[in-house]
Amino acid sequence: MHHLYRAYGLTIASELQLPELLPADPDHGAPDVTVTCERIPPQGLAGGTQISPFAWVNGNAFWLRVPNVSRFLVTDASRIVVDPEPGIDEASVRVFMLGSVLGALLFQRGFLLLHGNAIEVDGKCLVCLGPSGTGKSTLAAAFIRRGYRVLADDVVPVDAHCAAVPGFPRLKLWQDSADQLEFGTDGLTRIRPKLQKFNVPVPGRFCDDALPVRWVYILDNDNKDSIRIDPIVGMDRFQPLRANTYRRHFMEGLSLRPEHLKQCGELAGRVHLARVTRPRSGFDIDGLVDRLLADTREAG
Amino acid sequence: MGGIFWLASYPKSGNTWFRSFLSNYMSDSDEPVDINQISVGKIASHRLWIDNVIGFDTADLTQDEITSLRPVVYRWKHMEGDVSYHKIHDAYTYTREGRPLVDDVATVGALYIIRNPLDVALSYANHRGTDIDQAIAFMGDPEHALSRSVNALSQQLLQYMGTWSFHVRSWTEAPGLNVRIIRYEDMHTDPENTFAKAVEFLGLQSDPARLERAIRFSSFDIMAAQEQQTGFRERPARAERFFRKGKAGDWQDTLTNTQVARVVADHREIMTRFGYLDASGQPV
Repeated sequence: MHHLYRAYGLTIASELQLPELLPADPDHGAPDVTVTCERIPPQGLAGGTQISPFAWVNGNAFWLRVPNVSRFLVTDASRIVVDPEPGIDEASVRVFMLGSVLGALLFQRGFLLLHGNAIEVDGKCLVCLGPSGTGKSTLAAAFIRRGYRVLADDVVPVDAHCAAVPGFPRLKLWQDSADQLEFGTDGLTRIRPKLQKFNVPVPGRFCDDALPVRWVYILDNDNKDSIRIDPIVGMDRFQPLRANTYRRHFMEGLSLRPEHLKQCGELAGRVHLARVTRPRSGFDIDGLVDRLLADTREAG
Repeated sequence: MGGIFWLASYPKSGNTWFRSFLSNYMSDSDEPVDINQISVGKIASHRLWIDNVIGFDTADLTQDEITSLRPVVYRWKHMEGDVSYHKIHDAYTYTREGRPLVDDVATVGALYIIRNPLDVALSYANHRGTDIDQAIAFMGDPEHALSRSVNALSQQLLQYMGTWSFHVRSWTEAPGLNVRIIRYEDMHTDPENTFAKAVEFLGLQSDPARLERAIRFSSFDIMAAQEQQTGFRERPARAERFFRKGKAGDWQDTLTNTQVARVVADHREIMTRFGYLDASGQPV
């Protein structure tokens, strides 16, 4: 029995329930991606290249093991195989399946994948990038509370026309962020049973259309007291995009490096790019939203 | 033969000073290295380092799972084949599977920097933006850790340290670990010898002229002046300055008798062993 979903512009037929995703229309036709549960070689890909202690690539195949959770195999940009460890909960499998694994598939489909979130502002897309722990999801939640819609959180695929492609209507929020933004966590499911981090569905605040990326902000923080926005210009525009590519090492392992550099260059040529530095702690998240919105208006 | 040298210490024990020295020594330039560009390897608890290597997010893992993965990451780094130097504040501990957190295969050695806990208390209080009593309590807390929150995410992974005494013992008595101990106080009073021994231990070519210059370029005055001019990225927001006084023995003017007595009571054995208490048990 397959469940039909859509995400990133793809129809996904899955043996595994993926309640974070939107349901797809059953009359849509052949799915773009299938997700099945089958056995996967336990020790990587024979004849392939090991690109991490837990990941292998071989031609069009990508193999990933999350210890004590599951093994995953992504092939031909269209098939995902999941091989969960005995006794593991489905939520834990889904966290990695919807993150790194779907990410690898999107790489295989030729997207530039940015590590950040995508927000609709005046029919265009604002993207905030940064590593884990820089407050991307919290910022996305703050935009939602202000009435804005998100296209994606964590992984932002950018297509050949420099448009951000919508993912699915879900944020992952830590308890502290949820409290700060007054998103009650009663009744929400944890992303994994033992983590104080919640799946926050945002169906009414989801933008389901691909939108041209207009503004890209690199999130940073330091020990100063104020929020600063510094435009990034000239030759310096390329490196931050490359550095904030989602799972850059995977992409390089998948031999997509030249294509990736080209995509970063094209995007760098089209967007308003700036570094946003905010205080490491004790700052006003709404103030940050205001500053970003003001900067988008100024940049046009 | 590649591998990792750990630059290990309890916080506020001279680790940044040492890394500044090492960075100056390795760059061997005519100008002091910028304190914001200290080019020694990443801290062991750097979340992005771990995430980049494993290929999924530590943000989606439990603490035990992260701890189990860390030695795997260091071994992967070791397989790159070069020697690297990494700061670490974690105590020397083991995963649930009994494997050293820092991985015994990846580890070439550990330089452990120790500082009089009476001065650490003072400096740690400033660093954490707490009062001295709180810092002393942290140093005596068997559960003490950095970046501990389970309700939010930090760019640093949790670093379990335990008490100050436990931290010292964990590194200096770790079975099979190639460890060299240097005292912060000796970095002050006898820099030539202390840094020269460290350089030798870290497998670097010794060169007296280079050594002299690197010591000079990493002096407190130069680093404090740089912080004054440009700020220092590693300064916590709650601390006014990172490079505060940079001296040994400041506790004598600052700690109360009760505070001194408490630190001594908490850490007597280790303080005695490393010369911070005299034969009659008095702090020196």
